[in-house]
Amino acid sequence: MSKITVPIGPQHPLLKEPLAFSLTLEGEHVIESAMRLGYVHRGIERLSQERTYVQNVHLFERVCGICSHIHTTTYCQGVEALLGLEVPPRGLYLRALLCELERIHSHLLWLGVQARNIGFDTIFMYAWRDREIVLDIMEDLSGGRVSHAVNIIGGVRIDLTTEHRDVILRQLDTLEPQIETLLDVVENERSFQARTRNIGVLSLEQIRRYCVVGPVARASGLDMDLRRDAPTPPYDRLKFRVPVRYEGDAWARTMVRMLETVESVHLCRQILTTLPDGPTSVRAKRRVPPGEVVSRAEAPRGEVIYYIRSDGSDKPARVKVRTPTLTNLITLPDQLQNISMADVSVVLSGVDLCIACADR
Amino acid sequence: MASPLRSLAYLLPQLWRALKEGPHTVKYPFDPVELPAGYRGRVIIRAENCRGCSMCVRDCPAFALELEREGRDAYRLIYHPERCAYCGQCELSCNFDAISLSNEFVPGKPDRKDLGVVLVNKEG
Repeated sequence: MSKITVPIGPQHPLLKEPLAFSLTLEGEHVIESAMRLGYVHRGIERLSQERTYVQNVHLFERVCGICSHIHTTTYCQGVEALLGLEVPPRGLYLRALLCELERIHSHLLWLGVQARNIGFDTIFMYAWRDREIVLDIMEDLSGGRVSHAVNIIGGVRIDLTTEHRDVILRQLDTLEPQIETLLDVVENERSFQARTRNIGVLSLEQIRRYCVVGPVARASGLDMDLRRDAPTPPYDRLKFRVPVRYEGDAWARTMVRMLETVESVHLCRQILTTLPDGPTSVRAKRRVPPGEVVSRAEAPRGEVIYYIRSDGSDKPARVKVRTPTLTNLITLPDQLQNISMADVSVVLSGVDLCIACADR
Repeated sequence: MASPLRSLAYLLPQLWRALKEGPHTVKYPFDPVELPAGYRGRVIIRAENCRGCSMCVRDCPAFALELEREGRDAYRLIYHPERCAYCGQCELSCNFDAISLSNEFVPGKPDRKDLGVVLVNKEG
């Protein structure tokens, strides 16, 4: 049978961000794939060396549009460790609240994209409509829908009144049944299963070999979550489950993400009801003592790592960002082997790629 | 449950909710938009509080603020909304409660030059 090559991207309706694939097809089946990255490289790591630690908080917020808060959290956590600062508990709780809201928003957005790619537009509309509730909560809290600018070195710049807390709890009460409806659809709806079951399967051995992180790893049976395994306050005081599935396919990834969304709603409630009193931030020095630090956090897509080296000035000597998408991307050539052309969309969106994160 | 019935069970409550809530869109700019009190919009200044210390200029990550100094007490603080990232760092950096962000949109202008605003003009 003759072979044909189909280019996908860098601009393609299937991809929300620029990434190029060259798929070699034999009939309807993909037999080979090649990937090209780097279309949205902005040189953020180099740029951070030209800016002060304070300015860099806002720079690293722009690494990613979806998980902007977790990037600043990881960066601030690292700089605070270098400075030897102790962030007040209330500040840490509010940081974690935003992290969990961001996880709900990221997973619901992803569910919409996945549903759109498999042709299930109703779920796309519902997921994105319900995501608006979370965005409203975040806008009321921080003043921005996606770029929150909440973190500062030494804590957070926002605070919460009791009335505002009750409003958020009521909004979460509206959101939870909606998420449960979506979870029920993913779990039981035949058309959803027909398009996602046994597609893009990754074994536990492949996950370990490629060092895959986040929900993709948890969908293949690797039980790991930084919030539980290496908890930073306040996660050591909160109770939550880490959902794990063993099928390793696109459906299992959807299930893991939706179960995580439900857990995040519970976590938000726990944080709001146990919010300690006190200040939300402490004053930080502008100059950071020489040293180096590795800061890690569990982003919606997996583990994000910041390496920060200071030479004693008010600007970092080096900041290295390792985003979860970069490790998860490596699995795509394996997943795209011997699948039908119609399933390529499910595989590509199943990994929850954030190309802006990977390219930086 | 048979699949069509299950689909109806999902759909009907959603339909009821959509009908009850009505449209969510606003005819902006013809109708006003309700923005939360903490929304980060246009930068405003209380010029009498400003001492020209330039902390906001130093910390602004987008270089949207500029301080032109003409003498010890004569200076102009200029704001460039087209560069502004609306992050609120200037508000945090100001020790004299002089600069803050309001919950208003910055309207568009046909010419970029018209966007720049002189926030403080002290002549010594």
